[in-house]
Amino acid sequence: MEPPMHKLLVAPVLLTLLSGCVSSRIEQSRDSATGIETGEAIVLLGRASYNEKQTEDSFTECIADALRQGDNPIRMIQQNQFMDDLYPWFEPRTAPTSAEELGKLFTQPGVRARIDSANVRYLAWIDGDTVTIDSGGSMSCTISTFGGGCFGMSYWEEDASYEAAIWDLKTMTSTGQISADANGTSYLAGLVIPIPILARPGNAACKGLANQLREFIVGES
Amino acid sequence: MRFRVLFKQSLPVLALSLFLQSCTTSVVVEGTVPTPLVSTIPARMGVYYSDEFKYFKYEEVIRDSGGWSIDLGQQNLSFFQNLTASMFAGIQEVHEPPLTAEEMQNLDGVFIPSIEKYGFLTPSISGLKFFSASIEYRVAMYDKVGNKIGDWNIVGYGKSEGGMFSSDDAINEATVLAIRDGGARIAIELIDQPAVQAWLQSIEGSITPPADTADAAERIESVENSESLESVDGAPDA
Repeated sequence: MEPPMHKLLVAPVLLTLLSGCVSSRIEQSRDSATGIETGEAIVLLGRASYNEKQTEDSFTECIADALRQGDNPIRMIQQNQFMDDLYPWFEPRTAPTSAEELGKLFTQPGVRARIDSANVRYLAWIDGDTVTIDSGGSMSCTISTFGGGCFGMSYWEEDASYEAAIWDLKTMTSTGQISADANGTSYLAGLVIPIPILARPGNAACKGLANQLREFIVGES
Repeated sequence: MRFRVLFKQSLPVLALSLFLQSCTTSVVVEGTVPTPLVSTIPARMGVYYSDEFKYFKYEEVIRDSGGWSIDLGQQNLSFFQNLTASMFAGIQEVHEPPLTAEEMQNLDGVFIPSIEKYGFLTPSISGLKFFSASIEYRVAMYDKVGNKIGDWNIVGYGKSEGGMFSSDDAINEATVLAIRDGGARIAIELIDQPAVQAWLQSIEGSITPPADTADAAERIESVENSESLESVDGAPDA
């Protein structure tokens, strides 16, 4: 026996009600025309530096998953596989920092052949992170022999700011940049049971960046 | 009766040792071993791995997160075996120098990597949201007759996001990345060192130094002409 329709709707409605608001902005600048042929692939690499910031692996995986699916699925090369295949040229301290350095890199033995054999057309560097910029409120939880509960409210505001720099490995040029900024405040309300109202700016930035990246690569040739 | 008394007396000791053991996080470092795509140094080298290098284990007790036992010996050894096989035209593992003239007959020199320091930071110590690890390697090279070509210190860094319940995975990943980072610098920059270039010219006759030799020489912290190294007891005997 199938569950009634209204029961099936409860979960998405509840999730929508419990989702906090997120505002996001996507911007793009194009340096040259793009296009991708059947069989050609893209690799996304998270920029890592040795300071307190680093693009989260989960963010690049989120974009890669989004690009693999949808109406115009794009063949993606796994970041770890690409870095292993081209070791030591795409490690945090050895990776090229601009598309101009690709020419020199491709003179290294085996590098050009390895990229050609994997049919990698575009390389997108993902740089940025999600940070908590504000938080406040208070909530306390108690438990006793007569029961327990949580009372109060706390909140935290997160800002997700990412940029994708897209390089064409065939022409060894930079084709453009896409930036995504998303901001949202999450709440945790304690009304006997704690009720989370979560904003997910990282997720919004991922979806926005992935959609724009797909349009950027496929849309104009 | 005597056995029962003995058993009762040993129980607290057993419980205490089990408790202490449960507070130690043991990590056996595992990861991929990529093959470097680099220019081969045209020389046949003997490579000596000390037992300390092969079985390197780091232990530390941190007040907030308990004891840590990090075993990176096998991963490090596999990584360097693969690295040296790609870097040199030919390699052969050798015993601790000095080597006899007969043993050096088919070799142009000896390459000796060692670990000077290993360290790691947890988010509770660094205040960042990453686990990080660093390894300081020292690589020494000797020519066929046992003269030191040079020795260099290379520091590899790695960091990894870590959840509250996956600190061992995060330390593993940060350590693997630190090994990769150190290895990348050795693979790319060693061939550009002026001392290595001079030695290659002496054995090969001609090898064109790359244009950015000076830059590369600056990037690797050279300890050439320093006092004899504690980690290298002797040079190969000719």
